[in-house]
Amino acid sequence: MGYDVNAIFQIAGIGIIVAMIHTVLKQSGKDDWAQWVTLIGFIIVLFMVASFINDLFQEIKRVFLFQ
Amino acid sequence: MDIIQIVGLGIVATVLSLVVKEQKPMFAFVLATVTGVIIFLFLIGKISDVIRVLEGIAMQANVNIVYLDTILKIIGIAYIAEFGAQVTRDAGQGAIASKIELAGKILILVLAIPILSVIVETIVQLLPS
Amino acid sequence: MLKLLGASLIILAGTLCGMQLGGYLAHRPLQIRQLRTGLTLLETEIVYGSRSLSEALASISRRVGGEAARLFSQAAELLATEQEWSASECWHCAVHRIWPGTALKEPEKDVMLQLGFILGQSDREDQQKHIRLALANLEHEEACARDSQQRYEKMCRSLGVLSGVLLVILLY
Repeated sequence: MGYDVNAIFQIAGIGIIVAMIHTVLKQSGKDDWAQWVTLIGFIIVLFMVASFINDLFQEIKRVFLFQ
Repeated sequence: MDIIQIVGLGIVATVLSLVVKEQKPMFAFVLATVTGVIIFLFLIGKISDVIRVLEGIAMQANVNIVYLDTILKIIGIAYIAEFGAQVTRDAGQGAIASKIELAGKILILVLAIPILSVIVETIVQLLPS
Repeated sequence: MLKLLGASLIILAGTLCGMQLGGYLAHRPLQIRQLRTGLTLLETEIVYGSRSLSEALASISRRVGGEAARLFSQAAELLATEQEWSASECWHCAVHRIWPGTALKEPEKDVMLQLGFILGQSDREDQQKHIRLALANLEHEEACARDSQQRYEKMCRSLGVLSGVLLVILLY
């Protein structure tokens, strides 16, 4: 199993934890902090995903002989 | 067995995606995308081997290398377009998915036009005028 | 193996941080209550007793107990040792010294500093009035502190644990 299968578990874990932090903060009344935390979590995950998709497209270019 | 690993990974990712979907649908979409990317990256090694073999056969058969390159590029465009369209359709954006497919079709046509014109010229030459 | 150890250390650190912050929120009302008890005893001493301020403060600190008692014992010590300082200077010095070690915040500190200005300066009825004023302010602060504690204590602890887990997942 090449590559980084752990990335899937990382993303799922971050998703669940961010959802829990969002709920805890919302219940204590700090709604805006909750939104910020969710947004930041999503941006971090987006960074990881963007680098993955970049790798994917590089590989495709290489294999299918795009110069 | 590789297929078992891939299927196992897919099932685990699906379960995780369902768990996350009810909390934050955004993360579920991202998770599905990344799973697709990782499975494809795993297969890329095997696809590469197959293509090298095809290249060898083509060179032995004295086929013009340009034709094989064009075919491979068309397959590449088709795959990327299908990946993008499926991912955006999964997220519910059917309109964007259709536009991506349209773009793929047009680009493939653009690549194929030189070969089509060569075929037409050859046929015209063969015809007694 | 080492990774697992590091991960559990980070989660433990996050949990302890959360519990510490929650602890501050929980201790604040208790310490304000201790301060109020001490001030009530001080009022009684000033109006009815005839001991010197230093002795009175020392005996109050023995009876009150807890973190707030340190304020009274520190003030008593300074009054006994520093002969050139006035009572309010000793009081202020004691407040500044023990404050970082307590869970108390700015509003209570202002009340205590205000009290320090009149300590030992005027007659009994005037000092009694000022102490009563300080007691009323502290009671209000105690109510606010209890409210804060209710709302934010559990939140702090959960956040501590969750942040620890989040860091572990990010650094995996």
